[in-house]
Amino acid sequence: MKCESCNEREATIHISKGSGLGKTERFLCEQCANASFEDEFSYPDDSFNIHQLLKSLSQQQPKRQERKRQQCETCGSTIESIVHNGKFGCPDCYRTFDRQVPEIITRVQSHQTEHVGKVPKKSQSQIKVKRELEQLKGKLSALVESQEFEQAAVVRDEIKALEEAGGRNGAQ
Amino acid sequence: MEHNNISPWIEVVDEAPVEMSARVRLARNLQHVPFPHVQADKEKLDPALSKIEGALSEYQKVPMEMLQFEDKALLVEKYLISPLFTKQGICSYVNDDESVSVMVNEEDHIRIQSMGAGIPIQELYQKAEKVDETLEDAVDYAFDEQYGYLTACPTNTGTGMRASVMLHLPALSLSGKIDRLAVNLGRFGFTLRGIYGEGSVPLGHIYQLSNQLTLGQTEEDIIQNLDELKSQVVEEELETRSRIQENHALEIKDSVHRAFGTLKHAYKMSLKEAAKCLSEVKLGIDLGIIDYEDFKFQKWVQLIQPAFLKMRLNITKRRYRSLEAAVDEERATLLRELSGGK
Repeated sequence: MKCESCNEREATIHISKGSGLGKTERFLCEQCANASFEDEFSYPDDSFNIHQLLKSLSQQQPKRQERKRQQCETCGSTIESIVHNGKFGCPDCYRTFDRQVPEIITRVQSHQTEHVGKVPKKSQSQIKVKRELEQLKGKLSALVESQEFEQAAVVRDEIKALEEAGGRNGAQ
Repeated sequence: MEHNNISPWIEVVDEAPVEMSARVRLARNLQHVPFPHVQADKEKLDPALSKIEGALSEYQKVPMEMLQFEDKALLVEKYLISPLFTKQGICSYVNDDESVSVMVNEEDHIRIQSMGAGIPIQELYQKAEKVDETLEDAVDYAFDEQYGYLTACPTNTGTGMRASVMLHLPALSLSGKIDRLAVNLGRFGFTLRGIYGEGSVPLGHIYQLSNQLTLGQTEEDIIQNLDELKSQVVEEELETRSRIQENHALEIKDSVHRAFGTLKHAYKMSLKEAAKCLSEVKLGIDLGIIDYEDFKFQKWVQLIQPAFLKMRLNITKRRYRSLEAAVDEERATLLRELSGGK
């Protein structure tokens, strides 16, 4: 295996720090191992470009004070820590930082905004119910607007039934 | 653990000009659990670990804490785990022929990968998808209707899929056409880069073509695009080769035979030189300059890597003064054995 610092010489020294799950390891050649003791283990990784991109995004954003207070409840990440790491802290960050995420995603994914690929089976039914509900609600407001109340009552019951069924599935 | 040998799936690979092995990997994460790089709340991952283990009971379990540095380095050279995984990985799962593996706690909670050669990439995807479906029943994936599979790095969000194919491109590489080609492929959302070494010319002229974007396209579309672009690159490589052969027949013949001679007769060889010789001999075989049925490019390129050679040194228990010099000597010995030299 190559030295992960210079990527040229063979890694001959293994440095591990901490223990258990918090353990970090590096595989270095002799020269880089010596140098790294002075650097105090700062790992450059492949998130460099993203890192820079996120940094530029965060600088563009107004109201820095307001954003600083926002923290992900699940992992404690802030937009600053996400910028620093070039990575989200947990899946819930996508929702917590929903104001910044669209811009990050569209920039990184070359202006793509919507997943069109595989959907896990468990999510398929939920998404189907959600879409059906959206449709029915649209239909309901159209019926109310045109004062077709009898029809509207039927649609309202359909929505209610679907919501109850959805709630049951979600709880399972 | 028997991971000291070359992976069984590589043993049975049929050699083809240009196209080498392909790989599909899927990134998956667990709902409401911090990603691996976030140190806090590691215990949140614990309940899922036993569920993953249960779902993958048919696979061989390889816990990282049981492995020494050399064992890990070998798994990296076999592409079963990544360099990042050697540092923070908890456990990997590997199937019988080592063509399918799962890493737990890489950059994402779960990374599924499927490798093979001479098999349609779509089939490799289906193999990975099968594992995906098994795991999906066991744990709750983090999935969003708009953004798809949620990943630590936004470059993987969506399908979480990276599909890649390894290509031997000596003619495009030596003629300098590769840079322009890489730029063009970038416009289609694909990346072409060397896989061994960080220099301007990758070791053995072996490149990897992979999708850059993971959002806004289905898995099937990404794979179809990869297949089409791959065919174009292969065609361009073959055209360039025949043009080089037309104009520089003697030079090519000379370098191919010299490389073959070096493989058969050298007594010490660096990785760089060995990769160069193997690449030239492979080119010579593809061009019909030499006839060598038993030549296994993909397998031998792996066998000349340092961790594989160190494993051989440990087996023979030889005494040596410098490890690097011993590895270079062992590399030459191995290549003499393989190529029928003395």
